[in-house]
Formats: sequence, C-alpha cells, structure tokens
Amino acid sequence: MIYTYVFSGVLLGLSLLIQSHPSFDVLRIAGVKPDLLFIVIVYLAYTYGSFYGEIVGFISGLLQDSISNSLLGLLTFPKMAIGLVVGMFGRSVIKDNILSVTLMLFVASLAKNIVTLMLYYIFHQASASAVIGVILPESFYNAILAPPLFFLFDKIFQKDLKREGYL
Amino acid sequence: MDLLIKHKTVVAFTAFTLFCLVSLTAQSTSFTFTIEGIGSALVTPFQKIYDGGQGAVSQLWAGFTELGAIRKELQKTREQLQKYESIAGELNELREENDRLRKLLGLKEEAAYESVPASILSKDPDNWFRTIVINRGERDGVKMNMPVIAYSGGQKAVVGKVAEVRGSVSRVVPIISPDIRIGVKLMDSNYPGLLSGLSSRSTLCIMDYISKEAHLGRNTFVVTSGQGGVFPAGLIIGVVERPILVNSSAYQRAVIRPLIDFGVVEEVFIIKKEPDKDLLELLKDTE
Repeated sequence: MIYTYVFSGVLLGLSLLIQSHPSFDVLRIAGVKPDLLFIVIVYLAYTYGSFYGEIVGFISGLLQDSISNSLLGLLTFPKMAIGLVVGMFGRSVIKDNILSVTLMLFVASLAKNIVTLMLYYIFHQASASAVIGVILPESFYNAILAPPLFFLFDKIFQKDLKREGYL
Repeated sequence: MDLLIKHKTVVAFTAFTLFCLVSLTAQSTSFTFTIEGIGSALVTPFQKIYDGGQGAVSQLWAGFTELGAIRKELQKTREQLQKYESIAGELNELREENDRLRKLLGLKEEAAYESVPASILSKDPDNWFRTIVINRGERDGVKMNMPVIAYSGGQKAVVGKVAEVRGSVSRVVPIISPDIRIGVKLMDSNYPGLLSGLSSRSTLCIMDYISKEAHLGRNTFVVTSGQGGVFPAGLIIGVVERPILVNSSAYQRAVIRPLIDFGVVEEVFIIKKEPDKDLLELLKDTE
C-alpha cells in the first residue's frame, strides 16, 4: 500500500507542477489548459474506490487552492465530491475501455466545473460565459487526454490492478 | 467508534464539506451565512440568467439592424487608421528628437521610481484564475499593491499589481484578471475610465465608465491615470480594440487589447512605488 501512496503523491505533485509552470503553457488550447490533477484524481478514485477518491480529491484540492488565487475550498470541494462519486462506481461498474474512460472524464469534468461555477458564483463572482470559455473546452480536453494517461497509469499501478483482478 | 469507521466515507465527506463551506463563507465578501444571504444566493442566478438572455436577444437584433451603419463606420475607421498610422511615424521621430535634445541639455531621464527585475515562476494552475507568481518577495523590498510592468516592443507597459507578498516570492494579479480595477484614461483625449479583465479566460480587458463624448477610435492608447494611488500616471496599458455603446447606459465601454502578451511574458519589473496609504485606507473603509 505504501507503493500506492507514494506513486499517487508523485503523480499528483507532477501534474500540479506541469499545470502551474509557465513552460507548460504550450499545453493551452484556445486559452484553456487540461486539468491533469483532476485526471489523476479520477483515475485514483476509479481504481481505489470512493474513500481514497475523496481523500485524494480533498488533499489535491487544498494544495491547488493554496497555490492558486482562489478562496480556500473553492477548488477543493468539487474535486473531493467528484472523487467520491467516481469511486462509488469504479472499475466494477464502468468498463475499462477507451470510450467509457473518455465519456467518464467528460462527464466528471463537466460536473466538477459546474460545481466550481456555482461556488464561484455564490462566494465570489462568476459569468455565464465561463460555460463556453472554460467548462466545455476543459471537459473536452480532459476527456481526450484521459485514455492515453489512464493507459500510462495502469502500467504504474499494474501490481495493484493484478492483485484486485482487474488485469 | 465502530460506527464512524464503518461509515468513514460519509463521515469524511461531511467533515470535508463543512470545512469547505466554513472556509468559503469566512473568506467570501459577497456571501453572508444568513437567511437573506442564502435566499439571495438562490434567487440571483435565475435573475442573472434572465438578464443575460434578454441582453443576448437584444444584441442579436441589434446585429441585424445595425449592419449597414457598421459598414459605414468600418470604412470611416479604416480611413482614420491610415491617418493615425502616419501620425505614429511622426510621433516616433519626435520622440527620438526629444531624447536627443534631452541628452544635449543634460536632462535626467524621467524614471522616478526604482524598479526590481523579476522572473515568472508559475502561473495559476487552474483555468478559473489568472495570477502569476514571481521570484521576488519581502526580502527584495516588494510590498503589496506595487505596480508590475514589462517591456514590449521597446515600450514599458503594465502587467498588473502585487496582490500577495511572501519571503522570496510574490503573487501578481494581471490586468487581464476580472478581479483587478485600475483607473485609466484615453491617451489622446484624457477621458477617464475604469479598467478590469474582460473574463476569466480572455486575454483582453474592458474599460468602463467612459464618457459618451469620448471618441473611441481603434488603436487609441489607454494609459494609467494615476488615480487610485497604486499606478503612476502615464503607464501604457494597451489599445482600444472595439467600442461598446449601450444606449441605456450613461457611459460607453471599450474592449482593450493589452500591449503585453501574457502568453509569452517571462521577465517583469516591480516598480518600488508604495501605494498612497491614505487612499487605500479610504477604499478599505468604504468596502
């Protein structure tokens, strides 16, 4: 289990670094970059269940909130909630193929961004233009990146997946 | 205890949700945890959706009816642009001559404030916010609300202002962030306005509260007015991209294209100008 914790931490740290470093601004398409941290959270929740998903979502969200200019909790809550929901379904319900993974990431990203928009609206100030400007493009972007990244993560967590009988 | 362990997922979810709600409520300025606050938060989204929908229909209708007028305006604007391009060339010649004469007379450069060079360390990891983290902090004498500039095409232009200072790093809110408010004016006519970011994703700004008397020609320079106590007067922000005329409003607005390209900027300068304390205290009191 230590192996799982260490690699989860490394993956989350790396994705946060890639998302925040200006050198990776090349990842931006139409002004939007993918939420790699969220893809990792969804993968971990999908593989290890709802409890692990919500814990990972909460810790990563807190980290992101602390290095972002957002109010503490604004990015944490959606990540934690989606971690929990995705974990409730997991690998036993959502089959591990390209179409299911793409669709799962699209729906999860959409839900995360809608919750963020609502919180943003209530506690800060938000504009409906974010639906077209941020929510839809980011959800598409995350969904497209999900299958190759999930394939890569499957290789990293191969040992755990074999033990659980998923491989 | 066994019950808590058995339902650890629900317990953790409840605890985390409470933490987030308390944290957000404590930091928020636009939400109060009262019956009125909750009621307002529930009703206002629907009011805004209705208002937004009505605005979109009006704009669509205006698009059909004002097409002819826009064509004429475009022709006029093109002619004006040619005129301004020739003026820009003359201005450059005058600037060079001015510099040469200043040197001959032994006059000092106009730079009144010391500045600290800094590199951009990171940008906001989320698509919802636009802040920049730079490698200069309290140890380098950086303070809250100090203006940050950069050079673009040999001209210095505003990047944003310092919003958070730590030991060796600071967070800068750029002018393209909807959270910033800067007192600005049109360079050629001195008409004032208030500038902020257009949206959380756009790289453009919006200048509001411009008198309807002002002529908002394309590529008109917008500079800081010096009011507000943070930015010195005369720093270039950008140029007018397009005017927005709302018949029901007493003012007009303009979309501004910043001179700085925020996608490529890597080096910035923090101007060591301390904000006008009396003015900032007055603003805090009114908040």
